[in-house]
Amino acid sequence: MSNNTNPPPVPPYSGPGSPQDVPPLPGSFGVDPATLPPPIRDELLAPDPVAIDTSAEELKDGANRCPKCGATDIKQRPGTDLLICLYCRNEWHGQRVEEEFGFGEGLDDLTGTIIASGAQNIAADVSSLMTYKCTGCGAEVTVNTESTMTARCHWCRHVFGVNEQVANGAVPDAVLPFHIKKDDAVARIRQFVDKRRMFALKEFKEQFTPENVVGVYMPYMIVDGKASADVAGHGEILTRTYTQGSGDKKKTYYDADVYQVERHVDFTVDDLPLESSDKRGNLDIGANTNNIINTILPFDTKNAVKWNASYLSGFTSEKRDRDVEHLRPRLEEQLLSIARCEVEASVSRFDRGVRWESEGLDVHGTRWVSMYLPVWLYSYHQPGRNGGMLHYIAVNGRTGETMGSVPIQQWKLLTAAITVGTFLEGIALWILGSSS
Amino acid sequence: MSDDGGLALLLLGPAGGAGLYWALYRYYRNTDKSHAFERETTVDAKPVTGAERDRKVDEVKGTRETRIDGDNVREYRKRVARIRGDSS
Repeated sequence: MSNNTNPPPVPPYSGPGSPQDVPPLPGSFGVDPATLPPPIRDELLAPDPVAIDTSAEELKDGANRCPKCGATDIKQRPGTDLLICLYCRNEWHGQRVEEEFGFGEGLDDLTGTIIASGAQNIAADVSSLMTYKCTGCGAEVTVNTESTMTARCHWCRHVFGVNEQVANGAVPDAVLPFHIKKDDAVARIRQFVDKRRMFALKEFKEQFTPENVVGVYMPYMIVDGKASADVAGHGEILTRTYTQGSGDKKKTYYDADVYQVERHVDFTVDDLPLESSDKRGNLDIGANTNNIINTILPFDTKNAVKWNASYLSGFTSEKRDRDVEHLRPRLEEQLLSIARCEVEASVSRFDRGVRWESEGLDVHGTRWVSMYLPVWLYSYHQPGRNGGMLHYIAVNGRTGETMGSVPIQQWKLLTAAITVGTFLEGIALWILGSSS
Repeated sequence: MSDDGGLALLLLGPAGGAGLYWALYRYYRNTDKSHAFERETTVDAKPVTGAERDRKVDEVKGTRETRIDGDNVREYRKRVARIRGDSS
């Protein structure tokens, strides 16, 4: 190595080391750290920030055993957060992640990006099909994690659940078990649709069978964050109101003072849910009705329990396909919206409103936890252009909040609107006729 | 009756019909609904600062508008020019 006193050359726009280049793998440095001076070496060799490890050690082999008798036939007891062994009827409670990992604490001291182990990046080469060797009989059992997380061995009836955190995004940190039972969900959907029958599509009404509702565990990222926001713009305060002219020519005028307005707010958010599925996060009302599922948020995510596939027995699930970095723009957008909402009360003296012209956000720290949230989903496919429209009616599996999209019989609604319009026009013409 | 008032009255029919159509459409399809995270998330905010720096920069005389042009104080989700800080 030569002692070169010249300054290093200015990096070229492209080529090695430029942003256009493929970034090196995380952790790789290019030089053996042992050859570097101790202070730099110590810094390089210091451990990376570790994610919160929520993978349950005792559930690694896929067989989920009753702590009392060791049987694998475990289900969630409907309407509770309890797991029940179908063999010995032993019941036990999963650990709440809130206390177990301290997810509700330290929001004010949040710095950097903390990612729980179930919210880690998805590896592209990991298959969604998981194969287990049955510990009971040695047969191979396959679980397709795209839609389900448990399977039964066809030979010895052992039940398997995907509990180890494979890098395909299927295993979250926590799960919020269903509280609303199926009968309850069916009743809510029926009640919701009964209020929307008159102009509903005829086929929808004929085929309406709320008993076909399915319980789905949807993937979400639950985000805690600490941020500050600055907004700037102009506000106006009314100083004078006066009218000019008389009779029909009377017009009202306003005078106002214009102010330059700036606001700053520091805030923390607790448990903001973001869809971690690309498909579900797309709320384009022209193409889908995912906004329905979005509307039944939020959930009481504080009560989520540590991941255990037994909670999903009998339900389907959707797989996460979005990483933290994909969701960051969405988070920032929502934090900005929250900030704008927070500053509203402080500009109430501007009685003619405020026009915000610029806004800035500084995210100090975020904590990401991946979670399965329970949704009762009824769907109806309305045929039409571009593949038609899939209408959802969704019931929040915890709070029972119900929202839905009921397809419309267009001609009926148009006829009603035109009839009412004609009636109103008739009244208008009558008034005009009698006054002239 | 004046021409203005007469015209407004004549528009009553089409406006009423269209208004009813959209109101019912939204009631059935709920296309305007989404998660109200601004209200429904637990937000712990420190007191908002900056009010002391409000300063009068201009005056408006004799406008017929009841609100400031481009009022977006309640449109939280309408993004405006983003200032990018050097951190984060």
